[in-house]
Amino acid sequence: MIASVLRRFRRWLPASAIVIALSGCATNAPQDTWKPKGPNAAKIDNLQKPIFAVAGIIGVIVFAAVIYCVIKFRDRGQPIPHQSHGNPALEITLTIIPALILTVVGVFTVRTVFDLAKTNDTEMIINVTGQQWWWEYDYPVQAQFGITQPIVTSGQLVFPAGTKVLLRATSRDVIHSFWIPALNGKRDVVPGRVQTNRIEADLPGIYAGQCTEFCGLSHANMRMEAVALSKEDFAKWVANQQSAYVAPADGTLAKEGESVFLSQCVRCHQVNGLTRADGSPAIAAADENVWSGVAPNLTHLMSRNTFAGAMFDLAKPACRDEVWESDPATFGGKYLQGVTEDCLNQSALRAWLRNAPAVKPMYTNPAQLTKTGGKTRGMPFLGLSESDIEKLVAYLLTRS
Amino acid sequence: MFTSGSKYFFGISLLAGISIAVSILFANPSALAATALVGLLGAAGLLAGIMLFVRDGDVPSGEPSVSVHPAPTTSMWPLITAVGVTLALIGTITQPIIFLLGVVVLVAAFVEWTVLAWSEGASSDPAFNAAVRKRLLNPIEFPILAAVGLGLFIFSFSRVMLAVDSQIGVALFIVIGALLLVGGVLLAVRSTLKQGVVSAVCVLAAVAIVTAGISSARSGMRTELIVAQYESDHEVPRECGAEASAHGDSGATQTISAKSGVAATVEFSDGKLVAHVQGVQGVQSAITISRSSPSNIIFRNREAGNVRLVARLGTRKITEGVTEEVVRCTQMIERGAEQLLTLVIPKSSAANGPYWLSVVGEGGQAVELQVIELIVP
Amino acid sequence: MAIIERSTPQVALPLVEVPVTASSTFGVLKRPVAATGWKSWLFTVDHKKIGIMYGAAAMFFFVLGGIEALLIRLQLAAPNGKVLNADVYNQMFTMHATTMVFLFVMPMAAAFANYFIPLQIGARDVAFPRLNAFGLWALISGGIFLNLAWFLGGAADGGWFMYAPNSGPVFSPTHGIDFWALGLQITGIASLAGAINLIVTLLNMRAPGMSLMRLPIFSWMALVVQFLLLFAVPVITVALFLLTFQRNFGATFFDVSAGADPLLWQHLFWIFGHPEVYILVLPSFGIVSEVLPVFSRKPLFGYPFVVFSGAAIGFVGWGVWAHHMFASGLGPVSVAVFSMTTMLIAVPTGVKIVNWTLTLWGGKLWFTTAMKFSIALIVLFTIGGLSGVTHAVAPADTQQTDTYYIVAHLHYVLFGGAVLGLFSGFYYWWPKVFGKMLSERIGTWNFWLMVIGMNLTFGPMHILGLQGQPRRMYIWTEARAGEGFFNLGFWNLVSSIGAFVIASGVLLFLINVVRTARSGIPAPLDPWDSRSLEWMTTNPPKEHNFDVIPTVHHLDEFFHRKYKEGDNGEMVKIKTAEEILTEQEQAADKHIHMPSPSYWPLVLALGLPITAYGVIYSIPIAVFGGFVILFAAFGLGLEPATAKDTDFDPPTDTDATSGEVVPVD
Repeated sequence: MIASVLRRFRRWLPASAIVIALSGCATNAPQDTWKPKGPNAAKIDNLQKPIFAVAGIIGVIVFAAVIYCVIKFRDRGQPIPHQSHGNPALEITLTIIPALILTVVGVFTVRTVFDLAKTNDTEMIINVTGQQWWWEYDYPVQAQFGITQPIVTSGQLVFPAGTKVLLRATSRDVIHSFWIPALNGKRDVVPGRVQTNRIEADLPGIYAGQCTEFCGLSHANMRMEAVALSKEDFAKWVANQQSAYVAPADGTLAKEGESVFLSQCVRCHQVNGLTRADGSPAIAAADENVWSGVAPNLTHLMSRNTFAGAMFDLAKPACRDEVWESDPATFGGKYLQGVTEDCLNQSALRAWLRNAPAVKPMYTNPAQLTKTGGKTRGMPFLGLSESDIEKLVAYLLTRS
Repeated sequence: MFTSGSKYFFGISLLAGISIAVSILFANPSALAATALVGLLGAAGLLAGIMLFVRDGDVPSGEPSVSVHPAPTTSMWPLITAVGVTLALIGTITQPIIFLLGVVVLVAAFVEWTVLAWSEGASSDPAFNAAVRKRLLNPIEFPILAAVGLGLFIFSFSRVMLAVDSQIGVALFIVIGALLLVGGVLLAVRSTLKQGVVSAVCVLAAVAIVTAGISSARSGMRTELIVAQYESDHEVPRECGAEASAHGDSGATQTISAKSGVAATVEFSDGKLVAHVQGVQGVQSAITISRSSPSNIIFRNREAGNVRLVARLGTRKITEGVTEEVVRCTQMIERGAEQLLTLVIPKSSAANGPYWLSVVGEGGQAVELQVIELIVP
Repeated sequence: MAIIERSTPQVALPLVEVPVTASSTFGVLKRPVAATGWKSWLFTVDHKKIGIMYGAAAMFFFVLGGIEALLIRLQLAAPNGKVLNADVYNQMFTMHATTMVFLFVMPMAAAFANYFIPLQIGARDVAFPRLNAFGLWALISGGIFLNLAWFLGGAADGGWFMYAPNSGPVFSPTHGIDFWALGLQITGIASLAGAINLIVTLLNMRAPGMSLMRLPIFSWMALVVQFLLLFAVPVITVALFLLTFQRNFGATFFDVSAGADPLLWQHLFWIFGHPEVYILVLPSFGIVSEVLPVFSRKPLFGYPFVVFSGAAIGFVGWGVWAHHMFASGLGPVSVAVFSMTTMLIAVPTGVKIVNWTLTLWGGKLWFTTAMKFSIALIVLFTIGGLSGVTHAVAPADTQQTDTYYIVAHLHYVLFGGAVLGLFSGFYYWWPKVFGKMLSERIGTWNFWLMVIGMNLTFGPMHILGLQGQPRRMYIWTEARAGEGFFNLGFWNLVSSIGAFVIASGVLLFLINVVRTARSGIPAPLDPWDSRSLEWMTTNPPKEHNFDVIPTVHHLDEFFHRKYKEGDNGEMVKIKTAEEILTEQEQAADKHIHMPSPSYWPLVLALGLPITAYGVIYSIPIAVFGGFVILFAAFGLGLEPATAKDTDFDPPTDTDATSGEVVPVD
């Protein structure tokens, strides 16, 4: 196979070595595009590295030729050269050679394109919906994974490792782009379209990504994290996500927090199973308050260690690092612990509850809302008192 | 500095300006009067500017009185004026449009005749006089004639295209395009072609198109376009009531958004309703779509008889205690046809549902008990 | 000045042009005739003055766009930058790209094309001089209009690609995008006017004997560019109209819930946008193809190949637009096809690089600043071209697109390609345009600062992108920057430092310009021993360019008039440039009619932003603007191309037997 020949070539060549060495200068960048952690990204990587090498070789040849000319043919008082207008044979040869190289590259490219577009051996489906400026993930009913009712989550895309997962991605407002470099290339999410993209992780772990289609004010803050769990751990995660609502014990601060949540947050945020005082289910009506129509589901907020479109860590740095840096064998256990009271990044969460638009740029200023009929884009300033925030934090801590 | 012609128009615009000021200050002008006065101001101002710029069409104002006047040239304007008067009179007793035509002819004749007469008195040199006339009128004549000519041409062509069947229309377009190309190539290759031949061909082609246009306009548009005229919102999902017309957005898969990436394709065939979901193998009996995001669903009818796809989307609160069912429908379609349904569902089916898609036949009765569940998480 | 009279054809010295004043100063709308002073610039129709003004305007916008770039790099120098907030940053990168593309590179290319095409083809002016002036003023009014938004609630904030639906009124509530769409509409009108004008000029006004295969290569590339403009600008015009109607008149072209598809915008934008890339870079290719032969002392290697590869790029450039959309979800078939066509276009681009290198090969290289810029272009553009090949490979592109790797690629192409070529042109043609030599000493510093700065700025962006830093983010965070000293933070900082190195290089250029204007040494007639027709006249050229229209016998006509092949095949100088000029002056045409200055192009161009402003704020203003346009159009149409004799003092006398008349509009 030519690809493997090219790969062998690469080892010999200083040019490609330089390129690789330079890109290796940043160590452990979470979104490194040259460190595939799953078969889809690996296919891309196997294709692109030889091409980088070939490009490097051609570049070196051109530079060498130019440098040679610059040194050899500098004006040393030689006579004006013969006014030759060219050499068609040489010319045609030098046209055909790159054309041939590109044809070879093209063949492998086309093959990989169709390879990556394959969806007929999908094992699991997750729907991904982009919205300014966070991602929602919902899991349709799939009995083979124990999903008996739809699961809705956000911030972290949790999926079983070693499983071919198909993402069906769409958007509620503008175009976003879903990208976990370690798992696969980007796929734009376009409102009105359902686009598919496959991911698969070789090993459990956490993989960083970022919205890569410019989507307005807080585009830079629209991040995502994909969490691969072993199959057993994933089953535990699913079970937890489907567990029934447990109301905080009466008389606790968390119970008071529940009523603050009912009066303030449930306008937009859903907590499955939460009921009002009269026993009726509390249903979020985000579409009446938020232009794009939905706010993150907070039923199991503490099971994910990030919030606000993965902009802020829900866990303190030490706890976060412990999860991020753990090895594949122990990763699942640590992740499934969720965010405990000791680990909760209180300052970030409180700052968010105190005044969300101050820490993440969003459209909540009434002067900017004339075109949306008063609906905000993002979480507005709620004017919560410090005691309300105290209660809410206590309540949210119980949403594990 | 100011030529006499421009003084005249400046006077008019000044008068118009004063009138506007007076009417605003002392009277409360109607919209019509204000429009008329502002229009007069603008028009007179423009004319004054043109007059100033062309210095009254280059007629030397200070030239001593011309003693020798050439004999007036032949003129077609008296005849045309007569035609205009006749048309206007006939129009008053028959059709208003003929009256308007007569007025237009009269105005044109009036302007042309006036300028012609005026230019003939400009000097003793007929060539110079003709140039004066041209200089003043050509900038008005050419754009108007071009607009009228092009308009007639485009109008005729569009009538033809609207009248013939869409398939024939495509063929016609290709044939005419090819003819134009061939003609162009011929012209380029045989540059010695006689001008007369070229003009004759062009005139013939123009006449042919205008004739075809007139006859097509008489025969009217093709049926589906006539139907579509009465439909202002055939692409919008409608409330399911009586059919507004037999026509719907039948080319659903041809619209750019539906060519790829529709959320699902729902098919009614073999007496069953099944869904093909983007990215999922096999047929489904449930579709999961995301809340609040616009989702396109294509509906195809493969069964005999007219049916429509109905989406039942729970209930909506109208006022306290009063709710109504939210229902979205496609058009009633025959076998082989398809429709696009764009749904934006703001509320979760868990709380507000269940939601489902079903098929309804003529008269509103369900044709098939089996439904497709719409899950909105 | 309109008419150049020569009573004595045997003038030996360069003709001193007599200033002409209007005989009547109080004529309200009497056409302007000033040959000196600010009026002579404002109302000029001379392609050289217009070219200089294009250049000056473009330089102004280059500095503006550069300041925007510096602010962007300041913001990104460290994590969680505080220099700009998210909103201003988004406006900044949108306007940086818009300014650099539409208001710097395109007008600067237009400046060179305007100035040099008539000179290179042996013509006295362009085909439609007043249309030319209109193009200039439309560009300037469009550029000002675009930037006006900064002061009226904020500039456009949707990125220069302005993807729908993010460009809709809901998602960008300020008027920035309205100004953007209408401003670009105005500059588009300018581009179209220029394109038509230059195409007609190039096809119809070449000197006798100048067949298309003897056309200087810069003019050739300019011709390709004008055709690209002619076909590309209408596409963006349509797209911008859709956008304007969507934003200002409630249309739903990109509204999904009304059955539309936002990808429609992307297709329209990139069908324009990709040819636009070649519109930006081909003029510089032309400049380099002029400079390299001059300073290598041998003809361009494979002239026909360079010409046809330019034309091929022009054609294939239309079939690759969707490679900007590999991640949009086009489906594998479209992706595969566009991937292949994109690789195809690398071939003619490669041909150019090969030919430039082979032009150097065996030459007698003279490293002037212009030559240095051109050689740097070969190297740096090659890097950009090769990184381009890596994302022609669609699967790789899905990893690279919208990251800094693309930013690196496009800047190597547009800075390493287009901008360095333009700077090469500045140094090469400065003596021709201004009659003074730019300092080579400062030029060398300018060159090295710009080249080193550009590699410092954009080189690390390759690493940033491959390490996963997306573009268009107003901040980047430590959490995603990796570990160690050489993490993304380091490379971001290097890149920011590089931006200031470039800025100092550009500053040196500006200093060089000022210094040269004040105390530069007068340029010799033929400072570089050049090859093409524009050097066969005085520095700066006379208003009528050539005393006698030359008859062309060779590609590189001027060189072949100076040199002859000796018996042993060596090149022997037979004439000096001065001798050739004197010959021309002695055979000068008796009557040379040049088109006269005019108010109307300026008035017409001023009507455009008034109308655009009215579309945004108040329709009556738009109607008024429409009247201005109509009035000026009539004025332009009614006005004869050449002023009447009585406008001059002393009145000139044109008799029916006058000789050379340039075609005028």
